[in-house]
Amino acid sequence: MMQSFFEWMQGLPFSAWMLEETWASPIIQCAHLVALVAFAGAVLLVDMRLLGRGLIRTPLNQLAREADRWMIWSFVALFITGAPQVLSTALKQYYSPFFWWKMQIVLIGLVFTFTIRRRVVLAEEGTLGHWPKVVGFLSIGMWTGVSVYARLIGLLS
Amino acid sequence: MIRSAFEWVDALPSSIALRESLNAYPTLLTIHVVSMCLFAGLIAFWDMRLVGLTLRKVPVSNIPTRLFPWALTGYGINLITGGLLLYSQPMRYFGNFYFWAKMALMVLAGINMFWFHYATYKSVQAWDQGREIPLNARLAGVVSLALWAAVVVTGRMMAYSGLMPQWWNNLNIGA
Repeated sequence: MMQSFFEWMQGLPFSAWMLEETWASPIIQCAHLVALVAFAGAVLLVDMRLLGRGLIRTPLNQLAREADRWMIWSFVALFITGAPQVLSTALKQYYSPFFWWKMQIVLIGLVFTFTIRRRVVLAEEGTLGHWPKVVGFLSIGMWTGVSVYARLIGLLS
Repeated sequence: MIRSAFEWVDALPSSIALRESLNAYPTLLTIHVVSMCLFAGLIAFWDMRLVGLTLRKVPVSNIPTRLFPWALTGYGINLITGGLLLYSQPMRYFGNFYFWAKMALMVLAGINMFWFHYATYKSVQAWDQGREIPLNARLAGVVSLALWAAVVVTGRMMAYSGLMPQWWNNLNIGA
């Protein structure tokens, strides 16, 4: 069933247009990379703070509120620029294990970010023991994993 | 002369070994991208602070002190992996317009950074806490954002050797 869905995506006129239009893929990939940089910066600012590094003189919840706007909007940009790439190379993605690993971590990362991480960054500082460090470490690990698998889809699939 | 240097590196046994390794290219490129996220992600927030787009309650001088060591670590890893990628396939990059554009943009970003550091940042105590950032500093932030975004874009475009400008192809540099 999943394979038929990916075959359907690959057969869409938009997917054909993406493959035929010389500049479509490069422009979308460049925009995806710029959005990735913004997303990484927003995530890192807060995760480093959770680990006791970076902007430690700024209250964590203040920093998180500021960075979250950028994180959410850059993630929206990542989705908007990522979806056409999946559509136009749907079968390549389907047969790549890295794509599925990436998507699994993206899903876990999103749930983690908007539940556990959000609770920790908005909690009163100094009340959660070592948990902020654990959360910061996990968040950096997950989003690094997403970047690594995303890169490997193109290189090893 | 530059071409000879690239050809000389291209023929070195270590360059050939790196080029022929199955794992070297994907490994180096992946580390290159991840370290770029560390460097460019943090620098983008520094630039946006200068422009006044974010972190307006954070004193400006806090950011270089607290974030630059991490950003520079990312940049160092980025330079090493980028250097090794170039070392492994120098002739692939020699004729690539986007490679040279990326190098030129990095030099310009460096000049902008030094100009800002030595000309504008000296007076940071006067505007450190305030919301009003001097025009020169805001300008340096905008220029830096644009230049590093262009570095990222040209870096990605290096993979598209078939999409180089016609005038560049006419120069026959890679031939």
